[in-house]
Amino acid sequence: MNAELLFGSTLTRLVFFPAAACLPLLFIPRQSQKAVKWYTLVVSLVELAFAIDLAARADWGARVLRDLAAGGEPIAWVPRFGIAYDLRMDGISTPLALLGVGLLPAVVLGSWRGIERHWRLFAAALFLLTTGVLGTLFAWDMFLFYVFWEVMLVPMYLLIGIWGGERRIYAAVKFFLFTMAGSLLMLVAILWMAWTYHGLTGTWSFAYADWLRLDLPLPAQLWLFGAFALAFAIKAPMFPLHTWLPDAHVEAPTGGSVLLAGILLKLGTYGFLRFALPLFPAASRELQPLIVGLALVGILYGALVAWVQVDMKKLVAYSSIAHLGFVMLGLAAADLLAWQGALLQMVNHGLSTGALFLLVGMLYDRRHTKQFADFGGLAKVMPLFAFFLVFSALASVGLPALNGFVGEFLILAGTYRALGWPAVAAAFGVVLAAVYLFKMLDRTLWGPLEREENRGLPDLTPREVAALLPLCALMLWIGVAPRFFIDPSKPALEETLAAYRARAAAPAPDEPALREPVQAVQEAAR
Amino acid sequence: MTAQQWSALVPELVLCAGGIVILLLDAFLPGLRRAWTPAALATTGAAGWAAWERLPYGSSFDGLLEASPITLGFSLVVLVATALALLASDGYLRRERILAGEYHALLLWCAAGLLLMLRATELLTLFLALETLSLCLYALAAYHRRLEIGTEGAIKYFLMGAFVSAFVLFGLALLYGETGTTRLEGIAAAVQAAQGPSLVASLGFLLLLAGFGFKMSVVPFHAWSPDTYQGAPSPFVGFLSVAPKVASALVLFRILQAAVAGGDDAKWAELVSLLAVLSMVAGNLLALVQRDIKRMLAYSGIAHMGYLLLALVTLDRPSLAPVLVYLLAYALMNAGAFTVVALLYARPGEQHLIAELSGWGYRFPLLGACLTVSMLSLAGLPPTVGFLGKYLVFLNAVGDGFVGLAVVGVLASLVGVVYYLRVVYVLYMKPETRQPEGLLLDGWGRAAAVLAALATLVLGLWPSGLIEWTLQATLPR
Repeated sequence: MNAELLFGSTLTRLVFFPAAACLPLLFIPRQSQKAVKWYTLVVSLVELAFAIDLAARADWGARVLRDLAAGGEPIAWVPRFGIAYDLRMDGISTPLALLGVGLLPAVVLGSWRGIERHWRLFAAALFLLTTGVLGTLFAWDMFLFYVFWEVMLVPMYLLIGIWGGERRIYAAVKFFLFTMAGSLLMLVAILWMAWTYHGLTGTWSFAYADWLRLDLPLPAQLWLFGAFALAFAIKAPMFPLHTWLPDAHVEAPTGGSVLLAGILLKLGTYGFLRFALPLFPAASRELQPLIVGLALVGILYGALVAWVQVDMKKLVAYSSIAHLGFVMLGLAAADLLAWQGALLQMVNHGLSTGALFLLVGMLYDRRHTKQFADFGGLAKVMPLFAFFLVFSALASVGLPALNGFVGEFLILAGTYRALGWPAVAAAFGVVLAAVYLFKMLDRTLWGPLEREENRGLPDLTPREVAALLPLCALMLWIGVAPRFFIDPSKPALEETLAAYRARAAAPAPDEPALREPVQAVQEAAR
Repeated sequence: MTAQQWSALVPELVLCAGGIVILLLDAFLPGLRRAWTPAALATTGAAGWAAWERLPYGSSFDGLLEASPITLGFSLVVLVATALALLASDGYLRRERILAGEYHALLLWCAAGLLLMLRATELLTLFLALETLSLCLYALAAYHRRLEIGTEGAIKYFLMGAFVSAFVLFGLALLYGETGTTRLEGIAAAVQAAQGPSLVASLGFLLLLAGFGFKMSVVPFHAWSPDTYQGAPSPFVGFLSVAPKVASALVLFRILQAAVAGGDDAKWAELVSLLAVLSMVAGNLLALVQRDIKRMLAYSGIAHMGYLLLALVTLDRPSLAPVLVYLLAYALMNAGAFTVVALLYARPGEQHLIAELSGWGYRFPLLGACLTVSMLSLAGLPPTVGFLGKYLVFLNAVGDGFVGLAVVGVLASLVGVVYYLRVVYVLYMKPETRQPEGLLLDGWGRAAAVLAALATLVLGLWPSGLIEWTLQATLPR
């Protein structure tokens, strides 16, 4: 392994800088909590600078951007099994990576007061989680992908379990077990794929580009798709595998909730887009009605359940299920517009739900309650808070000129073009979103200020505004000038979609076979 | 004996001689007690060096012993487990005021017996090695003689072990009666000639299987292990739970290989997969309800032997590579766990409740982190060596067409995650319930915990060298 290639590489730097930043934590004395906080903030800002620098320098016309400084060559990790350390970015993974890294400073600022103990461990968990997330997004080798996928689990488990609410341990264990159950079956599927590839070619490879060439019989595809889809559907989460999510969100500390909703859930839908659909086109085409159906149920069920919540955080959590249902619907539609919308909606949801969780957390820091019954009329005492809450809620509802509108519109338009009536059913979800989010605004901000305790509530501090302002600015920017965000991803989505459609249309073979590399695949392999 | 024959026994001789010297010095110069741990470590290192450098490959003593890259690999795992146990023991023995040379000598002799067991290609030699090992193990299990619970566990172990010795001996006699030889090679040839073992020979094989299954604590021969682990000195349990299993796994492989020489391996494969599934499922489910960390680790060990057996369902030589990697992984993570247990529980006569570790992850950051790494590795999470072992075992099983078994394996390990994580959450997510009293956190013990945890991580992150070496060693030549 060439050290210079490894450490000089930009993607490697982006992925492993947070993990490396854990080491200096050991030398900051336990007592100086303030130093740890500032250190965490600085690290997250540096990481953000790295990410923006990388995205700004990338050539978005190309389908897949290799790890630039590594010369584009994967570095052998376990050569015996054809396992490589291979990081690449493309228009699909980069927006999500930017989102994940971009939320980090907001998470640190939002946790400033809420996290009272063990800041060093908190910082380490955040950093390791970031490394896991970025590695999962950039991994171009299935084994590497799986390793990063699992690396995300423990930091999130600690975030929920150590700093969470009263039932935190139950929630943390439930989160861990659900996710692990899916990923272990995915591991068996990965091993099965590796053997199939080995059986066909006589050599080992876990390279994503190589696996795209595998043409499997339908029954095998259905099993494998099932295993992959289960892992991703649990993560996303899709109805009916969503039950861990409300528990995890309600118990997690603010920072944990923001990261969970902001980026971890997206990895489930990203997994569908990157792996489950392109690797098993015939099976996913076969099961398309099922996925569409579950996505629709998720949209409506999530919205209806969110409506009846009496707890702000639970409401936002259930709204995530509905929003991710939209994303899944767009992905299942297999239409360019819908895919563009789905990718954008992943980012949108990260921004608006991230902001909403931050706001709920800020309120909780002040009043130590999240129940609607304890609030009302807050707009009178906290005008800044009210502004940001209304702004984020409107973005989440999909008000034109804000980001949510663009994403949902693209998904609905694309789905209508490809599938027809499911788009109509999904449109009800948009209406319901307005209903439950306005209910939240109504119960917290408006009405008479009845509670005595709420009279003296201080408004947002400059630190809290600093956490929210960038997110809201982005919501507005995406809403006003969406092309700036959509266009870079277009080549990657177009080619993935073209290859997917071509394969889904062709009949699956009776025996596993190796496909001639399609244009897009060649591109990726080069 | 010729010089060549002597040289074929160098590692075992080094270990035995080292034990005798320590024992004698202990009798005449008891004041030097504190030097026994480094002396025993040096002996172990010398034996490892001798096995690596000085031992010519090939068979010796007229074919009674063999030395090959495979036996070398397994021997090194045994010696690593011995060294880690020695490191972990010093502080424990001093804290309990039972530091004496017998402990080190017995441990070294155990290692000698194990090395012989690994290299024996003839059943009587194997039996003698097994007895050498077992007698030392019984004595060590009862080493803390002031503890009633230790004596009780040791007696259980001894009684069961005596039965097992009888089983092995009887199986050996049956095989000899049926095939006319006690050499595994000859037995395999006879089975091949008869196109499958006769009924009597099958019975012989089954008895041997039961005997070594007992040493590996595979379900249904596992009942001794929780009680024995609970009563025996914790650092020694780190050895007991690993080293005998390492040797037994290879012996089991050889015996099964002879049994399937006739070509019909379906029945044996079914039998092994049954044992594997039983061990994985029962081990994990029983570990789930344990409140004592040593008992929990005992049942977890049963489950791990189940995963290991998955690799032995097909008896081709490539399946030895995952077995070897898995055993090394298991040696490291189990030694790490038991070392921390030995250091953090000061009352060996009482239960070692998991809940007693509450909040200690913050009080003892280093040991807490080591225990966490061991637990995550036992749970099979990347990037630890425990994941590497599971990956190789499951890859092997899937490649041989046992996808169903692999699925059972991963589901069983999902159950495992629950109880391994319980230790992590107790460490970091619960408020402290007890003050540390009477602990002795010595440098040796810390070194053992850190070394084991570091090796667990490093081999998980850079597995290539290990994988290459094991594959080279186990490839048929």
